[in-house]
Amino acid sequence: MEAIWLYQFRLIVIGDSTVGKSCLIRRFTEGRFAQVSDPTVGVDFFSRLVEIEPGKRIKLQIWDTAGQERFRSITRAYYRNSVGGLLLFDITNRRSFQNVHDWLEEARSHVQPHSIVFLLVGHKCDLEAQRQVTRQEAEKLAGAYGMRYIETSARDAINVEHAFTELTREIFALVRSGDITIQEGWEGVKSGFVPNVVHSSEEVTKSDRRCLC
Amino acid sequence: MATDNRINFWRRNTKVPGSVQPVYGAQHPPLDPRLRRTYPKDTKPKFNNLKSKKACSFHEFACSTNDAWDIDDEEDDNFCGTPFSASFTPSGQDLTSVHNQQLRHQTGETEPVLPHILTPPRDEGHNSQRDDGSECERVNGKFVKSSSDADLNTTSVRSSLQKQQSLPVRPIIPLVARISDQNASGAPPMTVREKSRLDKFKQLLASPNTDLAITEELRKHSWSGIPREVRPITWRLLSGYLPANKERRELVLKRKREEYFGFIEQYYHSRTDEHYKDTYRQIHIDIPRTNPLIPLFQQPAVQEVFERILFIWAIRHPASGYVQGINDLVTPFFVVFLSEFVILILAEDVENFDVAALPLETQRNIEADSFWCMSKLLDGIQDNYTFAQPGIQNKVKALEELVSRIDVDIHNHFKKYEVEYLQFAFRWMNNLLMRELPLRCTIRLWDTYQAEAEGFSHFHLYVCAAFLIEWRKEILCMVDFQSLLMLLQNLPTIHWGNEEVGLLLAEAYRLKYMFADAPNHYKR
Repeated sequence: MEAIWLYQFRLIVIGDSTVGKSCLIRRFTEGRFAQVSDPTVGVDFFSRLVEIEPGKRIKLQIWDTAGQERFRSITRAYYRNSVGGLLLFDITNRRSFQNVHDWLEEARSHVQPHSIVFLLVGHKCDLEAQRQVTRQEAEKLAGAYGMRYIETSARDAINVEHAFTELTREIFALVRSGDITIQEGWEGVKSGFVPNVVHSSEEVTKSDRRCLC
Repeated sequence: MATDNRINFWRRNTKVPGSVQPVYGAQHPPLDPRLRRTYPKDTKPKFNNLKSKKACSFHEFACSTNDAWDIDDEEDDNFCGTPFSASFTPSGQDLTSVHNQQLRHQTGETEPVLPHILTPPRDEGHNSQRDDGSECERVNGKFVKSSSDADLNTTSVRSSLQKQQSLPVRPIIPLVARISDQNASGAPPMTVREKSRLDKFKQLLASPNTDLAITEELRKHSWSGIPREVRPITWRLLSGYLPANKERRELVLKRKREEYFGFIEQYYHSRTDEHYKDTYRQIHIDIPRTNPLIPLFQQPAVQEVFERILFIWAIRHPASGYVQGINDLVTPFFVVFLSEFVILILAEDVENFDVAALPLETQRNIEADSFWCMSKLLDGIQDNYTFAQPGIQNKVKALEELVSRIDVDIHNHFKKYEVEYLQFAFRWMNNLLMRELPLRCTIRLWDTYQAEAEGFSHFHLYVCAAFLIEWRKEILCMVDFQSLLMLLQNLPTIHWGNEEVGLLLAEAYRLKYMFADAPNHYKR
């Protein structure tokens, strides 16, 4: 049975190599943490349903991108059809934080004529002892670009749900207010099937599981 | 429609590749009943270089298909009932010569001394022919019976496969699959045919003749898979690293190995320089993530080897530099060249072998040989990794055109659900299918790629097309974008072995044969 969802949003996850993009997405979509995984080449696809309000479900299609510079010619093709994005840096790697600006530039120059709602994510927050970027400076940077800031850990499952759900809510609000509209030939937002019956949260969890297969 | 073409193609060309052939060097019992369904014998004939499925015993298989042999295929001469020549067994050697063998390897004498088949003295006297035509052989130092034990072997292989299948999926999975079909433990018995193939290789490799015809002959035989005992030397030759002239080989090996370590001495310290430190950092963070679930690649000694190889290659090729995916390409060479020594010592699994236990000289030789063979490979596909990766873009485009001609159903299905070829095939090109197949299959695939002219740069396209069509049924079952992408990113090849790769290559060969000389044929 087709899972019932209000909208489908396409998200893109970007950031330097080894900041933990794939791990974060896999924690979110598969519920587990892989200690090791091969570097992503090109782009990988993931998907999950989230419930932003009781009975209101959104289907997320998530593009996991390769961090290495050489793959930009491939990955930049995915900005255009994304409505939202998670921009990751590694709180234990100052350099990945310094590159946040470049990533935003890269995204903004390739998303035209659309725009992307970004969330800044400070990843690996379980490694507090090795922190090289303070929460304050990250929040300040996020504020300067009009983004929200969330710290996550895929290993300890901290704020992973929260990050994706918050971004989804933010996009949903913009869709509802008409700031973002569904457009022909644009994959960023698509409308789905409106449920007739409000499902209990247990059923929602079940259908989430099913859509992972 | 595709099936019709296929049949007509074969009917028209009975002389060329053509008929069903016995199992060439197959190292696997039939694992997958699906194969029988997918390729019933009469509707999908196969040709020479293809490993077809095995019957329960080799004899039965031969009888059931003997109407299909090519009479003028020389390889068949010593098949069908001809007992295997006893002259093969290098049983005179004993295990104490291991060290000497190593020394010989170190001095560059890498012709097929067949250390793998060293015979422990205690087995002496078991090597007798049996009435039923099956025979006892020693393979990899283990005592095995060629056909009557096939069932036992199947069982053990199956149970180990079940274990593998329960491992977590994607994207690590294909590389997790054991690589042990090329080492001693659990290796299936060698058939008569495999032995005769091995003999043929040995004969070719030992030939002092500098004639190019020998190399051509070697290519021809390698196409359908190289016996693992002679794979290291054959790869060195086919890649163009070693010269055909046997007398020059030792000298060339010595010189090339010195040259490589000259590079290391000259350039490796520059990895901390401003100019190169980004390159080095990327390599350094990728190496622990290369083949992450195979213990071999977590050893510091092995990781250092990979770092050196990749760094030296990258700075010598500034047009591309190091690109993720290239790290995977070192793996098959390293494993194959290492296997030469691992089996020699303890008949241990390559994937768990402690490389630091090898003499330093041996480690260095494996490293240098891996570097040069990988360089040869990359010479042919460097435009896959230069700016904007034009090689990959073009090949994905060509794949799309090809598929639109050979299987319009799949092509339209993708269109309907807005699946773009780049979304799944980018990785197929960037990593040469290594992320989609178990490592043992990649190694078998590379036998053919190295035997083909432009195997990695051109034939790979046809292999990708054949690989896609292999999943035709599964693809057409998926009726939304998401399920299609999830399928295409996680194709279930974990159980694949030589047979599946053989079929894949056969289909790729057919496609190439149809389209290679008619590029406009597959362009719309």
